[in-house]
Amino acid sequence: MVSVPDRTRNDHGCMSAVTAPAFARARDGAPEAGLRALPAIEADAISQKFGPKLVLDSVSLAVAPGAIQALLGPNGAGKTTLLRILSGLLVPTSGTVRILGRAEDNSREFRSLIGLVPSGDRTFYLRITGVENLAFFARLQGATKREAKRRAGEVLDEVGLADAAKTRVGFYSHGMQKRLSVARALLMNPPILLVDEATHDLDPEGAERVRDLVVAAARRGAAVVWATQRLDEIRGLADGVTLIAQGRQVFAGSVPELMTHAVPRRYLLRLRGSMETGALDGLATLERTGQGAEHFLLVLQDDAVLGAALAALGAAGVDVLTCTEERSGIEQAFLSLAGAR
Amino acid sequence: MSTVALPTGRARGVAGELRKLPAFVRRDFLVAWSYRMSFVSDLVSMTGQIIVFYFIGKMINPDVLPTYGGTNVTYLEFAAVGIAVGVFIQFGLDRVSAAMRGEQLMGTLESVLVTPTAPSTVQLGSVAFDLVYIPIRTAVFLTAVTIVFGLNLSAAGLIPALIVLIAFMPFVWGLGVATAALLLTFKRGGGLVGLGFVAVGLLSGVYFPLDLLPGWLAAIAEANPIAHAIEAMRDSLLGQASLSSVLPTVALLIPCSVASLALGLGVFRLAVRRERRRGTLGLY
Repeated sequence: MVSVPDRTRNDHGCMSAVTAPAFARARDGAPEAGLRALPAIEADAISQKFGPKLVLDSVSLAVAPGAIQALLGPNGAGKTTLLRILSGLLVPTSGTVRILGRAEDNSREFRSLIGLVPSGDRTFYLRITGVENLAFFARLQGATKREAKRRAGEVLDEVGLADAAKTRVGFYSHGMQKRLSVARALLMNPPILLVDEATHDLDPEGAERVRDLVVAAARRGAAVVWATQRLDEIRGLADGVTLIAQGRQVFAGSVPELMTHAVPRRYLLRLRGSMETGALDGLATLERTGQGAEHFLLVLQDDAVLGAALAALGAAGVDVLTCTEERSGIEQAFLSLAGAR
Repeated sequence: MSTVALPTGRARGVAGELRKLPAFVRRDFLVAWSYRMSFVSDLVSMTGQIIVFYFIGKMINPDVLPTYGGTNVTYLEFAAVGIAVGVFIQFGLDRVSAAMRGEQLMGTLESVLVTPTAPSTVQLGSVAFDLVYIPIRTAVFLTAVTIVFGLNLSAAGLIPALIVLIAFMPFVWGLGVATAALLLTFKRGGGLVGLGFVAVGLLSGVYFPLDLLPGWLAAIAEANPIAHAIEAMRDSLLGQASLSSVLPTVALLIPCSVASLALGLGVFRLAVRRERRRGTLGLY
C-alpha cells in the first residue's frame, strides 16, 4: 500500500522539469542558413589512437561561419582530443581537418585562424598581471606592442575584467581565469573559436557571461565549437550538436533533432491519497524520493505510456498534484544516445 | 573577422618572428622581478663561492698554474675567469633546457604553441631574457671580484673576451636546446644536465689546469670547445692577449657553435613534432 496525503487534485499535465534557461534565446545576428553553406571547420573521419587505445573513431564535423556547434559527450568521450586536433596541437592518426578550406598543416598561418579556450585552469603566467598576460599572447599573435596593449585592454573590458587588469593572475578566481581565457581567444577576433568546457564549475552568472561572449563572437561571424557536458546550456545556444561517446560519433544534427531521441520514462509526481499495492502493475514502479510525504518517482516500464499510469493512479483514488519529467529532454536524449538510460 | 596579417616570404616571416622576442624578454623579466629574492640569493651565493676560492687560493702555489702573457697569475684570478665562464655555461644549459619544461609544468606550453609562433621562436624566446641577463651577471661578477680582491684583469682584454663569448654562446645554447628536446620527450632529464655540469667542471679547466689530468682524459678535454673558450678568455683577461691572438680559437668555436645550434634546433623540432603526434605536448 502506498499512502499519500489527501488533497484536491489540481494538475494532471506534465511539464519539462528543466525549463529553457535565461540564455536560451535567438541570436538575432546569426547568419542566414543560405550563407552558411561553406563550412569554416571541416573535420572528416578523424580517428585518434593513443598506443593501442582508440580514443576517436571516425568522427566528422562541419561548422559554418557564425554557427555554434555543441560537442557533447560524457567524460572521456574524446571531446578535448577532438578540439586539440582541430587546433593543431595534436596530429590525428587518420582523417583530415580543413579550416576555411585550408588543410591543417600546423603552419603559423593556420594557427592564426584559431582561438582556443582550453579546459585547464593553469594556462596563464600566474606571477604577472592579466593585462600583461594578454599583451604577451597578442604579441605572439603578431600584434605590435602598441596594438597588443590596446587589444588587451579592450578584451579585458569586454569580459568584465578591466578592474582586475593590473592584478596578478594568481589572485584571480577560477571564473575570472576562465573569462581571461576567453579574452585571450578573442584577442585577434579569430574566425574559428574552439571552447573546451568553458562553463564547467562556473557559477550561473559567470557561465552566462562566458556564453554571451561566445555568442557575440559567433554573431561577428566566428565558427564556434563548444565542448560541454552541461546539457541544459546548449538549448538556444547551439545551432548544431555532435554527440560522441567512447570516441564514436553517435549523433549529429540540430537540437530539435536531438530531442526526438528523448523518450521520457522517469517522472517526479506529487500525489495525495492512498492506493493498493499493485495498482501500477505492468505499467510503472512508484517509489518515494525522500523529499517529503507527497513526492514520488514514477518509472514507466518499457511499453507503458504516461497517460495509462496516471489513469491507473486516478482509478486507484490517488490525486496527482504535479507531474514533471525528472530529466530534461536533452539529458534524456544524451543518455539514450550515449548508451546509458 | 579581423585577423593580423602575417608576413609572407621567408625573410619577412623571420623578421616577424624576431619581433616577438621582446615580448618574451618582458614576460620573463616581469616573472623574474616578481621573485626579487632570487636575485639577492644569486648574488649571495656568487659572493660566497668567490670567498671560498679566495681562501683555497691562499694554499696554492701560483708556480703550478699556467702563465698568461708571460706572467704568473694567482689561483683566484685563474679560478675567477673559469668560474665566470663555467657559471655562464651552467646557467645557459640549465635555463635553456628548463625553459620549455617550465612552460610544460606551468601549463602554458600549449597556449603558447597554439599561437602562430614557430616552435624555434618559442624556444629562443623562452631563453631570450637569460641571454641578456647571464652575460650581464657574468660581467658584474668579474667586475666585483676585480674590485674587491684587487685582481689584475686586463681592460684591454675585454673586447677579445667578449668576441670569444659571442662566438661561444650559440654552442651552449645548442646544447641547452638539445637537452630541452630530451626533457620535452622524456619529461625527466635532470641527470643529463647534471652530467653536463660534471663534464664542464672536469673537462673544461674551470677549476684547475687541464695538464693536471691523466693523459687520456687531457686528450678528451683538448677536444672540448668549452676548454678552448675558457683558455681564450683567460688569455684575454689575464694575459692581455690581442684580438688577433684569440681569432684561431674563435675560428674553432664558430663551426662548433653552428653545428651545436643546428643540431639542437633540429632535435627540438623533431621532439615537438613527436609530442604532437603522441598528444603528450602538455603532459609532464
